[in-house]
Amino acid sequence: MSDPAVVETRADASAEELREELELTLRKLAEAHKMAALGRLSAGIVHEINTPIGSILSNNETIRRSIETLKKLVTVSQTDGQAMPQRAGVILDTLASLTDIDKLACERIYAVIRSLKTFARVNEGDLRKVDINEILLNTLKLSGCVFRRRVSVVTDFGELPEVECYPGLLNQAFLNLVVNAAQAIQGDGTVTVKTKTDGDFIEIAIADDGAGIPPDVRKRIFSAGFTTKPIGEGTGLGLALTREIIQDTHGGKIWFESELGSGTTFFMRLPIQQPRSQEQA
Amino acid sequence: MDHNGKGNVQPVVAIVDDEEMVITSVKAFLSLETEYDLHGFTDPEQAAKFLETHPVDVVVSDYLMPKMNGIQLLGKAKQLQPEAARVLLTGHADKQSAIQAINDVGLFQYLEKPWDNSQLLLVIQSAIERTQLFRTLREKISELDNAHTSLKDVQSRLLRAFL
Repeated sequence: MSDPAVVETRADASAEELREELELTLRKLAEAHKMAALGRLSAGIVHEINTPIGSILSNNETIRRSIETLKKLVTVSQTDGQAMPQRAGVILDTLASLTDIDKLACERIYAVIRSLKTFARVNEGDLRKVDINEILLNTLKLSGCVFRRRVSVVTDFGELPEVECYPGLLNQAFLNLVVNAAQAIQGDGTVTVKTKTDGDFIEIAIADDGAGIPPDVRKRIFSAGFTTKPIGEGTGLGLALTREIIQDTHGGKIWFESELGSGTTFFMRLPIQQPRSQEQA
Repeated sequence: MDHNGKGNVQPVVAIVDDEEMVITSVKAFLSLETEYDLHGFTDPEQAAKFLETHPVDVVVSDYLMPKMNGIQLLGKAKQLQPEAARVLLTGHADKQSAIQAINDVGLFQYLEKPWDNSQLLLVIQSAIERTQLFRTLREKISELDNAHTSLKDVQSRLLRAFL
């Protein structure tokens, strides 16, 4: 016969565990909803900005061509003996250089929009074959908007076959890791992203030269609800979700190597092809 | 009709977008680069009305618009002027609308905003060429039909004369 007091304690413990698990699941669900909402918002922003930027880029091209035509017309009248006021030449040259700058400025806005477009794919629920290097590049561009001034990015991409995956989810996983890497760097530093093919798998490494993960924290970093970041900065779900996306959803593997003071590298191994049964599910 | 379909008329291009700025930009560019007869509409219903009475070579339409979306408008254009080429110029870059547009309204080209002027021009030029070839083909077919009818007529008259 078991001691009733012990049974009660066990029951309490499992109720407590269940409650915690439920709470975590709810938080994960809320996080997934947030990402989906963010995806929809991004899609809306992309659409709203594409039209005006399209108009500006088109006008820019038209103005640039028109300035060239004007210059030619002026040259023709000069050869016909009509002197061009000196000021007119200066103005035309200034206009030409301003349109060049406008073009560069627009292209920068457009680059951000393009990377947001990938992010807007969070809602895509289908398995697709995609270029992982391109997804990583877009993730880096997007996070670069926040970290560009202090963190430089180095990429060493190998040639990859198209990988069958849920692109929106992988995008979210990569973004988590890149943001973590940049946040691990105090002051200036470098985030290095490498990819390579290894048989039926691809491998991705995201490395920072930041503070490194303290040994006592290492065991818990993939646990949901665990964070070392200040309140409001980390949800404690980022790495847990990332592991779920890489391992549970894609049948891959995620691990890390870290050294205090020299930085951390996260490695991911993803199958190029998802098992047939999973595709049919 | 001001269109004789011989390919030497001024090509007519209709541009439909609920954003005035897009119409202004595209019209400004095309009017400097080409001799096309350009018609811009911010209201797709007005564009559809225009298409009822005016033959055009190309319709360039936005996708998301109030009252009528781009696919509905291009569907109407297909019904009214099957030969006129249909181009969708959209900022709403989702595959679903692209596939629907290609399948439902026999799209000539699907372009995304922001667009590249040189590419847009190239698309419009080849669209016009295609439309005018279609028109010439239709004329040749009807000429052949006429020739065939008159030959038949001659044949029956000959038969009547000799038998």
